[in-house]
Amino acid sequence: MTFYFVSIATYVGFFMIMALALNLQWGMTGMVNFGVAGFYAIGAYTSGLLSVKAGWPVEWAMLAAPVMGLIWGAAVALLSIRLREDFLAIVTLGFGEIVRLFVLNEDWLTEGPRGLRIDARPLGGMLDRDQYAYFYLALVAVTVLIIFLISERIRRSPYGRVLRAIREDDVVAGVLGKVVLRYRIQVFALGGAFMGLGGALYAHYVQNISPDVFMPMVAIFIWMSVIVGGAGNNKGLLIGAGVVMALLEGTRFLGDFMIWLDAEKLSALRIILIGVLLIVVLRLRPRGLMPEEKFRYNP
Amino acid sequence: MNKLITRRRALQGTAAAFAATAIAPKLVLGADPINVGSLTPNTGGGGPFGPNIAAAHRRVVEEVNAAGGVLGREVQLTQENSETNPETAVRAADKLINVNQVIGILGTWSSSVTLGIMPKCQEAGVIQMCTSSSADIPAKDEKGLVFNFQALSPVWGDAIADLALRRGFKTFSLMALNNDFTGSMIDAFAAKVKAKGAQVINEPFFYNGGQSSYRTEVEQLIAGDPEAVFIPAYVTDFTAVYKEIFRSGYEGQVISVSIATGDKFKEAVGEAANGLLHGVPVPPIGSKAYAMYLQEAGLEDTGEVQHPFGTAGRDQMSSLLLAVEKAGSTDTAKVAKAIWEVTTGPGKKEVFSVLEGLEAIRAGEEINYSGASSSVEFDNEGMVLGRDFQLTEVQDGKDVVVERLEFKG
Repeated sequence: MTFYFVSIATYVGFFMIMALALNLQWGMTGMVNFGVAGFYAIGAYTSGLLSVKAGWPVEWAMLAAPVMGLIWGAAVALLSIRLREDFLAIVTLGFGEIVRLFVLNEDWLTEGPRGLRIDARPLGGMLDRDQYAYFYLALVAVTVLIIFLISERIRRSPYGRVLRAIREDDVVAGVLGKVVLRYRIQVFALGGAFMGLGGALYAHYVQNISPDVFMPMVAIFIWMSVIVGGAGNNKGLLIGAGVVMALLEGTRFLGDFMIWLDAEKLSALRIILIGVLLIVVLRLRPRGLMPEEKFRYNP
Repeated sequence: MNKLITRRRALQGTAAAFAATAIAPKLVLGADPINVGSLTPNTGGGGPFGPNIAAAHRRVVEEVNAAGGVLGREVQLTQENSETNPETAVRAADKLINVNQVIGILGTWSSSVTLGIMPKCQEAGVIQMCTSSSADIPAKDEKGLVFNFQALSPVWGDAIADLALRRGFKTFSLMALNNDFTGSMIDAFAAKVKAKGAQVINEPFFYNGGQSSYRTEVEQLIAGDPEAVFIPAYVTDFTAVYKEIFRSGYEGQVISVSIATGDKFKEAVGEAANGLLHGVPVPPIGSKAYAMYLQEAGLEDTGEVQHPFGTAGRDQMSSLLLAVEKAGSTDTAKVAKAIWEVTTGPGKKEVFSVLEGLEAIRAGEEINYSGASSSVEFDNEGMVLGRDFQLTEVQDGKDVVVERLEFKG
């Protein structure tokens, strides 16, 4: 049982990394990114391929993932020169699908639908199975902490104020002399880098990735985490990621109590229940469990 | 003292009685239960098949428990839904391994799920039993813990090509849905066709699922006017592909796999489905174990294939439990070895159900379990050796068997 919780806590960590990154892009700057799964895949495959096919040491391969995420994040952000809000949402969704279809079809590189088996992992072979579970949880937790501190620093800084100004009205921010596009590119690239790192951590944890893993559903889970937790509030979305995972996983245990339900009914009931609970949360707390704090001017 | 039954005492008594009934079955069968996990695609792409597999697993376990369990212990089954999605399935497998402490995870269907949970299962030393067709499965199973009850996709391609050639076609064009199951099927199909002197006239290619239109793909496919086209697919995309072929006015023969052409497909395309050929590995129809399966599942024997994957579910659970009894322990390395002993090899007593088998093992006999999905013989990598295949034609909205290829072990 303990190992299950350790393992689920690790998955919550992946969700937290992705949610923090999305919060930078959307919660703080208002740039809608539905291509979360694409950045996740870029990170996972960058690290996986470099360690499996190019023979890089796993630590270096994992560090290359955020660099790729950064580059692609900046590239996608350039689209926001002319596109914003719902238009950007559609384009980023398209980007996520392009990445998935690339991974699916370029099987000379990615092994395509067969999936990529990744045996290499950090400190692999030095720890036994039990210790390793704790080690990986610690590794993910430290990453979450670092990303959280960076995000909080940005949020509290003058830079963060500019981001919020862009979110509320980019014309006003522009009139005040802020180069809106530069901020957009920087933030989107940084978010992309965090997502890439999240993908790399995920890939070396599950050790087998395939295009099926990176369906748009992943993006929906991350969006759920941010919305339930409270967009714009970094602490809130850590809770949001925990709540979403608790809903996804906790409902598995229904079968242990409701033994009269067969597997088929239970599966359907579980998915319905997840939806209902989300609606309830959002009805009761429309701005999320921890709404964004209001900033006051204190001279 | 007054010995009247007070309300409180009555409540305590009732509670105790309930508690006793709740734990009673466990007491009868002795200490630790044997934990087995079932991870089936109850929703998503495998949704039409998962529930049958799950139900078959449950029936075998109930039957065994009613007859006293395995090694005198109760078998405890935990069932999870893979949602046909490796991302979810890995977490479900995590729960089965770490919370339920299962010795085996049975019933995974799509290759991406089977391969996705494999690192976790190998690390924890958990047996996997699946119906997946990816040729990568034996390669990635380093510990010899994976048993596949489905023919690998090259075998499908080879067998369906064989059946198609018997219908006299000389020129073929091929395209396939780009996934692990269908993708590796067309190479074997092309190889067989060429070996038998017929021709593949196009450059076989893959298409992506989930498109709303397949006009370009279909035009490319029928460009050289082949006598027949072979399109291994899933039902979700094949419906759209087939509509496009019908619209194009192509008059040759369309051949696919039966899992793409079930009732939902026939409902969607109506009478345009007539004349379509489709092939699939089938349970040995007319065999004793298949007849028993139909009875257990409450189905009429129609002479047609029913529950192609449910039958495999029965065989998975039966062979695992027989192997546990044979091995005399739940140590998975020993059980895995015993799976071969109870299913494969000549000169043993042939049994068709788990109860027959348990009885024979306890009587000290060597057994060979013969299943409802196939005769269940494994090669030394744990892949099922052979299955019967059949080619079916849709006539007046109904499946009519036109050719059958029997596996001779």
